[in-house]
Amino acid sequence: MTATEAQIMLSVGLIEKDVNGDTLWVWCYPSVCPELRQVLLRKCCLTQEGRDFHTFVFGHFSRTWFYITTAEVQEPTALSKVTHFSIAVTAKDFNPEKYAALSRILCRTYTKHGSPVKMMEAYITVLTKGICQSDENGSFLIKDYDVQTAYLAGSIKDVVSQFGVETIILYTALMLKRRIVVYHPRVEALLEFTRVLPALTWHRKDWSILHPYVHLTDAELDDLKTCPGYVAGFVDPDVSSRSDLFDVFVNLPDAVITVSQGAKEAMAMGKLHKDIAQLMVNSAEDAERSDSQVIKDISTKTQEVLAHLAALTETCENSKITLEALKLRHFPPATENFLFHLAAAEQLLRI
Amino acid sequence: MEEVDKILIHALRQVGTEVAEEVDSLKQFSSELIVEAVVRCVRVIESGLGGALPTSLPPGMSARFRVGMSLAQACQDVGYKGEIGYQTFLYSNEPEIRSLLMFLVEKLPRERAEASDQSAGKSAVLQRAIAAALRAQLAASWVPPNCRLPLHWETQSQGALHSLHVQPLSFPLCSKASDRKHLKDVKDYHRDVLPPVTAQTSGHASTAASILERHASELSAAQEWDNEWKSQGLLSRLTPQEYCSRKLTRLRKRIEEQLRSAAAPSSESAFAVSRSTSELSELLQTFRGSAPSNHVLTKGSHFTHTQKFSFTQETAAAAALSPVLAGRHSEGDVQLRQEEELASLQQQFQQLCSDVDQLTADMKHLNVTNAQVLDELKQRELGNAEDDEKMQVKKKTVDLLPDAENNLLKLQSLVEGGAKRVVNLAAQWEKHRAPLIDEYRRLKEICSNKDLESNRKLSEIKSLHEKIRVSTEEAKKKEETHKQLVTELESLPKDVSRSAYTQRILEIVSNIKKQKEEITKILSDTKELQKEINNLTGKLDRTFAVTDELVFKDAKKDESVRKSYKYLAALHENCNQLIQTIEDTGTILREIRDLEEQIETENGNKTVSNLERILDDYKAIRQENSALAAKIREG
Repeated sequence: MTATEAQIMLSVGLIEKDVNGDTLWVWCYPSVCPELRQVLLRKCCLTQEGRDFHTFVFGHFSRTWFYITTAEVQEPTALSKVTHFSIAVTAKDFNPEKYAALSRILCRTYTKHGSPVKMMEAYITVLTKGICQSDENGSFLIKDYDVQTAYLAGSIKDVVSQFGVETIILYTALMLKRRIVVYHPRVEALLEFTRVLPALTWHRKDWSILHPYVHLTDAELDDLKTCPGYVAGFVDPDVSSRSDLFDVFVNLPDAVITVSQGAKEAMAMGKLHKDIAQLMVNSAEDAERSDSQVIKDISTKTQEVLAHLAALTETCENSKITLEALKLRHFPPATENFLFHLAAAEQLLRI
Repeated sequence: MEEVDKILIHALRQVGTEVAEEVDSLKQFSSELIVEAVVRCVRVIESGLGGALPTSLPPGMSARFRVGMSLAQACQDVGYKGEIGYQTFLYSNEPEIRSLLMFLVEKLPRERAEASDQSAGKSAVLQRAIAAALRAQLAASWVPPNCRLPLHWETQSQGALHSLHVQPLSFPLCSKASDRKHLKDVKDYHRDVLPPVTAQTSGHASTAASILERHASELSAAQEWDNEWKSQGLLSRLTPQEYCSRKLTRLRKRIEEQLRSAAAPSSESAFAVSRSTSELSELLQTFRGSAPSNHVLTKGSHFTHTQKFSFTQETAAAAALSPVLAGRHSEGDVQLRQEEELASLQQQFQQLCSDVDQLTADMKHLNVTNAQVLDELKQRELGNAEDDEKMQVKKKTVDLLPDAENNLLKLQSLVEGGAKRVVNLAAQWEKHRAPLIDEYRRLKEICSNKDLESNRKLSEIKSLHEKIRVSTEEAKKKEETHKQLVTELESLPKDVSRSAYTQRILEIVSNIKKQKEEITKILSDTKELQKEINNLTGKLDRTFAVTDELVFKDAKKDESVRKSYKYLAALHENCNQLIQTIEDTGTILREIRDLEEQIETENGNKTVSNLERILDDYKAIRQENSALAAKIREG
């Protein structure tokens, strides 16, 4: 959140569910394009036949992060005929905690005053000054919420403990910029799990590959396909049959990882992977090491591998490696394959 | 009593008894008449019994006596439970005769006079004849072929059977004539040219079948439409025409889709399916009429194309091979040639395999590099966009840098002003937006309420339909029973008017009711009087007792009191006697009334005249006896 960055917060929108059972997009500032509006309405739990109530969900669409907070209208209130409402904040950066806090303040303001104008004032204050009064004593400061904290907020230890040595498949897929699809029927579990996966490739610090909450609609899938590699989370069990969407499929409730046929060849693993897997498991099992330390360990190992690859490229022209050069080193086939694809992912391959 | 007599006389007349016109009550019946009536009745009731009895009394006394006895026996055999003997017929009295005749008349079997003289129009006669014939045919039971009698040949033989051959008929639509304007020509056609239904079919036997089929189809179509309309049509809230047209378009679309999907090329279909699709496409061609044959080829499936292609290749290869083979004669040469060919072909094959491998490897490499390049491109684009934005901001900042302090302040004030303006605008927009949203919500509520209302009304309509259906069924049933009862009524004899009887019966019933009321009133009056009498007697006794004591107490002292006491006692005694006399008078009056009634009834019995007759007859019998005895003594 440095001052040189251009505007990060894009818009705020208001969705209401009224006594007639209609869910309407009633207000937004400054504007939200119709496509994004559709997506937001779909993600908002108020349109989903009222089954589950999700207080906070976030997702990624068309390089925009959206954060939706839903609240039930409690008496006494200035809002008549409204049973529930959601506030959708869109922004360019990934920081669920920050926007969750902001949305909570906005929700409370809206419930109290019954008019979005007051809410907008708070939003504009945050936008221009980076600070806003919250009605609990204290204030909301943007600079309290650091992006590093957001990146590290998830629990990598849980991931490793759930999948054990198979976590290496996820690691490989992420390193090779492959497509990972995660399925879980509950959205909160999905968000929690997927948000930590990009931390396995800490050297890139690229969370734009993360699409934690996607529905099987054409618009969203088209947007997904514009990214060459991604981590996508679905609540729809039908996604397991869509083999055109993934190279690795993670069935989270059953804790099963499957590699699709087309990607098996590229994801072949060897001794190198075994080493890394062992390291991950050991590090995570150590009760004294925190999540961030585990991530650091994995990152260190990754850097070793990358350094090794970089060393290989030095001997080639243009510092770009070729397959022939790799073959000269007589690596075991799996390792050679992995290094070849890794070079492509890290853009070290000669074209 | 007169009514009863009239009914009896009428019934007796019907049986065949010759009752004179002036005789209209049983009092005037003579013995002969009685005997004749009874004999005829018995004959009708049970022909076996009555056959031996004469209808008139013979002159001889003993014969009459015998006849009387046998008649009494016959009546008892028929079932008469009362006391009956020869005296009932020879020395009759009214009440007994009346009860006997009533019993016999009731026993008479109900005769149904054939309704012969009804409105005898030709069609009515014809219909009755048809009904009679059908009844007879239906009454004849089905018999297996081996047991058929000539009676059954007409209706149950093989020749009478026809297979159900149906032909289309055309009717002028007489039911909807009021709805649709028929063209004059169509009307003329229907009137002048269209043959009657019986002539429209090719054979006589298929007329009935065709009419049945047409009728059944129309009926079922009407019922189906009714059901569909009631269940789905009403729900869709359209008029019937709109509903029909929508259904038509929907069905057309579906047919089109089905034909298209069946004719569309499918690359993974099996050979059999592709053959059928080519057939279907040919069929579609015939629909379209003129279409060049190569059009068919382009519509064929991918599979058929590859087949054709491979087939032509095979033919080419075969053509290539055959001249090679044809030119050689010697065997050894042939074998050598073949081996050489085999080796060359294997070499070719290996070359091809290695080519394929090379190509796959190249493809893989290219894929990977392609991915890398795309990735790089995307990243660079994004980086460019970000850098653009940053540059814009930096440029503006740099522009403002010279006068940093002021510009900063200006910017801040601008921002604040802008924020305030935006908030202001938002407030204004809110003023517009809130009422609109409220209006929308309100209208939605009204709409859903209306929906509920209309649903409720729809269900009401459905229940009404149900009720209508039930009542039409009931009405049909009731009409049928009404028709049946009317025909029954018409067939009953009309000469005796039932209405007069029913009228009299109802009058009698109301009279009896009135009398019953009066009797109850009188009874209650009597009870009241009796109660009063009891009350008064009691009071009298008590008063007398008290007075008696009082006066007696004083009577010892005073002489006048003693006298008054005596008077009192005498008074009481006399009054008692008076009361007693009155009561006796009443009892005696009642007895007189009873005796008078008894005298009346006894007088009705004609006992005196009967006795005289008996005496006479007795004398006659004694004479006959003596005559017979004398005859016996003589010869």
